[in-house]
Amino acid sequence: MSEIDADAAASQKLRKSERVKRKGNRTSEDGDSAGLGKGRAAAFVAPAMLLIAIFLVFPALWTLYLGLTNYRLTGFAATHPRFVGIDNYVNALTDSRFLNSLGLTLLFVLGSAVIGQSVLGFAIAWMMTRVRKGVKSVVEFFVLLAWIVPSSVSTFLWLALLDRNNGTLNTLFGTGTTAWLLQFPMQSIIVFNTWVGTAFSMLLFSSALGAVPPTQLESSKIAGAGAWAQLRDVIFPHIRSHVLTNTILITLWTFNTFTPYLLTAGGPDHRSEILPVYIYRLALSEGSLGQGSAVSLIMILINLVIALVYLRILREKKS
Amino acid sequence: MASIVTTSLVKEYPGGVRGVNGLSLTVNDGEFFALLGPSGCGKTTLLRTIAGLEKTTSGRINIGDRDVTDLEPGKRKIAMVFQDYALFPHMSVADNISYPLKIQKMRKTDRLEEAEKVGDGLSLQGLMERRPGQLSGGQQQRVALGRAIASRPEVFLFDEPLSNLDARLRLEARTFLKKLQIDLGITTVFVTHDQAEALALADRIAIMKAGTLQQLGSPREVFQRPANIFVASFVGSTPMNLLPATVQDGRVLVSGTSLPLPASAEGLVAEGQSVTWGARPEYLHMSTTETADAFLGGVTISENLGASVLLSISVGESNVRVVVGEDQEPSMGTSVWVKVEPRRSLLFDSDGDRIGK
Repeated sequence: MSEIDADAAASQKLRKSERVKRKGNRTSEDGDSAGLGKGRAAAFVAPAMLLIAIFLVFPALWTLYLGLTNYRLTGFAATHPRFVGIDNYVNALTDSRFLNSLGLTLLFVLGSAVIGQSVLGFAIAWMMTRVRKGVKSVVEFFVLLAWIVPSSVSTFLWLALLDRNNGTLNTLFGTGTTAWLLQFPMQSIIVFNTWVGTAFSMLLFSSALGAVPPTQLESSKIAGAGAWAQLRDVIFPHIRSHVLTNTILITLWTFNTFTPYLLTAGGPDHRSEILPVYIYRLALSEGSLGQGSAVSLIMILINLVIALVYLRILREKKS
Repeated sequence: MASIVTTSLVKEYPGGVRGVNGLSLTVNDGEFFALLGPSGCGKTTLLRTIAGLEKTTSGRINIGDRDVTDLEPGKRKIAMVFQDYALFPHMSVADNISYPLKIQKMRKTDRLEEAEKVGDGLSLQGLMERRPGQLSGGQQQRVALGRAIASRPEVFLFDEPLSNLDARLRLEARTFLKKLQIDLGITTVFVTHDQAEALALADRIAIMKAGTLQQLGSPREVFQRPANIFVASFVGSTPMNLLPATVQDGRVLVSGTSLPLPASAEGLVAEGQSVTWGARPEYLHMSTTETADAFLGGVTISENLGASVLLSISVGESNVRVVVGEDQEPSMGTSVWVKVEPRRSLLFDSDGDRIGK
């Protein structure tokens, strides 16, 4: 009985203090912990919002508008663009070149990001948990180097590596005059992008593996678990959220990367024309700004879907 | 069921630090064996080397009649319980307990049945579907024990199995652990830094310091007859009285008081030899009337231990501690006599080793 009384008294006290707080600060129930009030809070956010509006929202809306016109880089349509409705979108979605590009992009993302960077990055990170510190530092240094070297430099190195005449690869393996970039354009840019991006996955997985409790690994070892069973039963359950984060980030980055253009320029014959390269060629090389804008918007939508799926999964995990 | 024998075992870490330095000891079949020592003494390293989690630098390890020195941990037929229990947070209690059986490729229904059986023996009924995160510390500890039992090992290795429990639960778990070990009769080595735990649980205790064995014996031997000053001061809930002394006229002069020579040291000391005199506070007797062969001094501090009281008595330059019953507590400053039984006092030589058997 007395316990209930005490509870009631406590809750009454709480309500009273809440009333007092509300009187002192009207916005306390909105979670205004800083006590700024809406006006001042808005003033603080305004500069950032303005910058976002100018540099992000406006260009996006402009792209949306351009996508509805036959705007071109040069010629009559450059000065007198005509409103064409959703023609550009219909054209894009029925154009075999667009569909080809979309397919190549999916292949590119799957090959170089999901399989290449993730798997290779994890494999390196895992191997590095079993070697001496010195070896680990050296390996990490070289992997990181691929990531931090400017893409113009690294693509130049790869051009030298894959060159038909006197290329390093052909010399090394005695593969004659194989023109790697012409004969295997997709394979080349997939390997290239894996090489560039593995460092990120490796670093992320390194830190994730460092957080796996060593005693759990040891108890699975004592139970007799081999490497594969340890991966399945201890490591993967612990790094699941890292795998998710990593996959989403590198998917988005790979989806949007333009660097392969520096290697193959989308060729030969559109065989390595991933979406960013397609848009660039369409809008700026061929001058169809309106059509390019429409494809850009489609690409933004695909990005958005990926991001939303990611946020959804992450939120489900938290709750 | 098996004994464990280590022969000149050395575990050296990169950089030349020796965690275990030439240790030879035998843990008998079915024995409850404690490795006791302060942190950094190598007790955990020894346990992990027996488990195979650390590579042996030199020496051999035998479990039963098998030489396991170069075997993988999973092939040694051991089970280990870690201080943090190392339960898999994403698996249910049943899956945790039956994990070793899953690795041994036992069928799912069989291993869950086995887990049920083991869980029943550990009062885990009704918790089998829960995750470790939903259990109390004591329950988690029993799940960890269950996982160890389910693997049917020849040897249990416990790394501070009780130190993550709060004080009251620890006593309960201690009794439970002792009963479990007696029931199963599996050779058990456990590591602890808590001397009370070691005394309470173990059949025999190995006390270690800096990778070497200091003393090996039953709890009683270790408590009553510590091999050296290190063991004397490490074992016992109230520290042993250790005072500088000189041999004089066949007696021993401690802090200006002449006491009879400890029984064990008779005939083994020379006149005028500098020694350390030691006696446990529990083995001293206080009296308010004059007593022969006793220290005389004033009570300076009294600490309540529950049913008994720890008194500090200043004798000359030094402090003598004595444990007395609660109804015997004198007031502060009172002069009292503290009598020593020759049978219960010890002498240590200048190297710190006990004189006599």
